[in-house]
Amino acid sequence: MSIFEVLLVYKSGLSSGLLVTLQMCLFIWSIGLLLGVLIGFGSVHCKRLGRGVEYLSFLNSGVPVIVLLFWVHYPLQEMLQFTIQPFYTAIFTLAFVNVLGVAEVVKNSILDIPKQYLEVARVSGISAYKRFLRIDLPLIFRHSVAPILMLQVNMLHMTLFASLIGVEDLFRVVQRINAIIYKPVEAYTALVFFYIAISIPLCLAARLLKARYACDFSEK
Amino acid sequence: MLQAKNISKSFGVKRVFQNLNITVKQGEVTVLMGQNGSGKSTCLRSLALLEKIDSGQIMLDGTSVNASDVNMYPKITVVFQQLFLWPHLTNRENITLAVQGTPYQKQLDELIEFLDLKEFIDQYPNQSSLGQKQRVAIARALILNPQYLLLDEITSALDDRQTEVIVEILKDLKKRKIGILLVTHHKVVAKQLADKLVYI
Repeated sequence: MSIFEVLLVYKSGLSSGLLVTLQMCLFIWSIGLLLGVLIGFGSVHCKRLGRGVEYLSFLNSGVPVIVLLFWVHYPLQEMLQFTIQPFYTAIFTLAFVNVLGVAEVVKNSILDIPKQYLEVARVSGISAYKRFLRIDLPLIFRHSVAPILMLQVNMLHMTLFASLIGVEDLFRVVQRINAIIYKPVEAYTALVFFYIAISIPLCLAARLLKARYACDFSEK
Repeated sequence: MLQAKNISKSFGVKRVFQNLNITVKQGEVTVLMGQNGSGKSTCLRSLALLEKIDSGQIMLDGTSVNASDVNMYPKITVVFQQLFLWPHLTNRENITLAVQGTPYQKQLDELIEFLDLKEFIDQYPNQSSLGQKQRVAIARALILNPQYLLLDEITSALDDRQTEVIVEILKDLKKRKIGILLVTHHKVVAKQLADKLVYI
């Protein structure tokens, strides 16, 4: 059975898996971007929050996502005496990872703005509000947009782990297909088509935005 | 008159300057000279209230001013050595950002002519040469109609021809009754412009 035959024969199963993966991504991306940006800004102004994010990011970088997912799915739920569906567990865990990642990128982008740009605004008599809108925000956007988009591509790839706690995502569907046809190369290569289809627009957007808005800090 | 009265500044145990007195009068150029690391830029930053002084006073037209006094900008404004033009804005936007919402067009046209900006006004800073950026930075300060202009080593990276252009511009600003504090270690420039010379 060739790759295209896999795609053709199992198209309905693959479509439902794709739908679950996309739903997960939409939640993970939107929660991550919304909370991550807010926490990123907050952590610059509130030192306690900043330190908290730093500690959590440090811990998070030492714990593989799959382990985190298992912790949240099994011991945590048992400890707290409640059960949530694997789909939501995966969203919660991966969104948490995404929030931390986005917050770090935003925070670093803010801290990387040369303070002299802001001093020039000050001695020019520009109000804090106008400075934020016209100088801070565009510089932060230019600095953070490409890494944030690349992080979202990584989050898409991390949704693969959700299958390990029983989420019926694209990867789990392909695992099932492989169990039937015993053609792992063809089955998993078919999976690649879907991931490429989702991540290519993101990667292209990241490249395009980087080229369009790449920060010129040559005057630093 | 912009005055620094007996100002002192230290960074930790390192004393940068002590009991320094500087006066900048409108229509005059005060040149501040000294060796590298002697604290010229720190002194300029102190006068612009960007650096907190340990003791002494900064007086603007007879009134003591401090860092929380935001109304002193842009009466006093600064052109930094490295210019710091905002990289995401065109040269035109760099010049006009602070005055947007006011009728600035006539003044902008004058500045374009005065500083010969026409050729690169709509370029981004990274598309302009250093001499061009220098003029944009000066225009950005001048559109604010400052009474005092503090210039930090603005000719340090320029060749002789470009330096000459800047000197001519500063002579003209003097005639327009702007008080200028110029930090430089360019002796020729100091000689051409200085009404008052301060060594630190």
